[in-house]
Amino acid sequence: MTELEPPTSGLVAAVEVERGAFRLDVEIRADPGEIVAVLGPNGAGKTTLLRVLAGLLPLAAGRIELGGAVLDDPTAGVFRDAARRRVGVVFQDYRLFPRMRIVDNVAFGPRSRGVPRAASRQLARHWLERLDIGELARRRPPQLSGGQAQRVALARALAAEPDLLLLDEPLAALDARTRATVQGELREHLTEFAGPTLFVTHDPLEALLLADRIVVLESGQVVQQGSPHDIAARPATDYVAKLVGVNLYAGAATSGRVELDGGGTIVIGDAELAGRALVAVRPSAITVHTTRPDHSSARNVWAGRIDALAPLGDRIRLSVSGTPSALVDVTAPAVTELGLTRGQDVWLATKATDLIAYPEPS
Amino acid sequence: MTRATRSPRRRDRAGVPLALVPPALIGAAFLLLPTVALLIRMPWSGLRELYSDSNVSAALTLSLQTATAATIASLLFGVPLAWMLARLRFRGLGLIRAAVTMPLVLPPVVGGVSLFLALGRFGVVGRYLDRWFGFTLPFTKYGVVAAETFVAMPFLVITAEGAFRAADRRLEEAAATLGASRLTVFWRVTLPGIGPSLVAGTVLCWARALGEFGATITFNGSLPGKTEVMPTKISLALETSPEQAEALSLILIAIALVILAALREQWLRPAVSS
Repeated sequence: MTELEPPTSGLVAAVEVERGAFRLDVEIRADPGEIVAVLGPNGAGKTTLLRVLAGLLPLAAGRIELGGAVLDDPTAGVFRDAARRRVGVVFQDYRLFPRMRIVDNVAFGPRSRGVPRAASRQLARHWLERLDIGELARRRPPQLSGGQAQRVALARALAAEPDLLLLDEPLAALDARTRATVQGELREHLTEFAGPTLFVTHDPLEALLLADRIVVLESGQVVQQGSPHDIAARPATDYVAKLVGVNLYAGAATSGRVELDGGGTIVIGDAELAGRALVAVRPSAITVHTTRPDHSSARNVWAGRIDALAPLGDRIRLSVSGTPSALVDVTAPAVTELGLTRGQDVWLATKATDLIAYPEPS
Repeated sequence: MTRATRSPRRRDRAGVPLALVPPALIGAAFLLLPTVALLIRMPWSGLRELYSDSNVSAALTLSLQTATAATIASLLFGVPLAWMLARLRFRGLGLIRAAVTMPLVLPPVVGGVSLFLALGRFGVVGRYLDRWFGFTLPFTKYGVVAAETFVAMPFLVITAEGAFRAADRRLEEAAATLGASRLTVFWRVTLPGIGPSLVAGTVLCWARALGEFGATITFNGSLPGKTEVMPTKISLALETSPEQAEALSLILIAIALVILAALREQWLRPAVSS
């Protein structure tokens, strides 16, 4: 293990935990205001990392420091449990208290830290307003939609005034439509949070959309870290390449279109977006045609040539060069039906509603 | 075996093996019959007179008071005990579990005798109560509460323990990350989480305390106006005035019906826990 740099006001952690044959050995830092995604497959140790940082699980070895204070150091015999460290957690299943009103859920943190009842409620209302869900105050968790529950969980974590914010798969429990609306807002709220934010996810798109920096975790080890752009552009391992198998295009957005840096134009659903922008398109959101699809509802249609076909799970991943080039996932029967082969000229199409466009992080 | 291979078809059609229905009906009738008989033979016209005996209201009042006190004592000590049984692991846990189950399997009369040996004037602990505080438990209403608590608390403990075991630990973790101390977590998250079971256990406990006879009469006798509660009074009245015994039983039946209705409501309403 390499030596840690001197303490900053953010999170500096060297984490070693063993659970049976599994071993998590990770060094991770997050500066104040920074949003770090820990990206990895199930079983990579993401949740264990989160639990250790939250104080729900003690370290076997290593050291966790937050804002210059030591939270866990087995060698020194220091362990502050969850209740005695200011680490907010937004759990994947939200874990709202089912019998309490929303306002009392959010007031729970301040109340637990000794703020009187009325003042706690006041604080809770303030946070609910801030997250645009003031009207939910008197409801109870079973009456909320997934997107609302997520915002309440975030409000509850923030109302406890944490020094570090942790999120477990923040968008995973939401359906596809809700995800699209929530991710933009979430990014905004996370940016407003002054402390370091760390979230774990198995979804590369989630990491690319929300994070300033991505740490890729595999079998308990960090295999790569860097900005979303770096990770997507220069995958360090096969695993990372597959993981970030998302088409990500940079360009300039004006009135519902993005002029891509590498040539080509993509029509996006969002007419408000302007300036530097990123467009993320899942390989499965692109369709392949052997003739130009005239009657398709897709707004984006362009020509390309198949460079490679490779099986990926139960699908075939095509690497298609064109402006822009793209990875496209199709089913095996579709490959047979269309007679797709290497070197073939094809048409690609994708709907404006199937892609995600967002301002490029500066 | 041949019968077993043939039967599924028949079961599919019938839903249940019909042979079980007659014994089931006989069982139900047997449980219901005594109550019905009591209602049929009830001296309805003379009730007012039978209830006017001043000892009746004294016994009823004492019954309600002691059963409630025993329930409060059971909540105070039984809920932490249930929590300990459900959540802690240590040597001697089995012994504590056995201690909780003991009053359930022990004949209440024997429970009364044991209580006497423990808390009586010359009992293992009782002698010090007498020597140091001049306080004797048996043949007082506190003795009634003690006997009722001994017999009724296990009902609450067992119900609550099961609920603590099944409770959602994830919510407790969430509470801890929000800065709640362990006691706050218990008080504001764990306990409300087992609310329905706790209510059911409390009602069962109270009902058991109210009906307690064996341990109570063994430990405290049945002194009118002092330690005489409804069950002991009914038992004694049966020898002198059977009609009064019937009339008094009616009161306990009415209370039992109210409890049944309350529990039914509790069990039918699905818990809001996910």
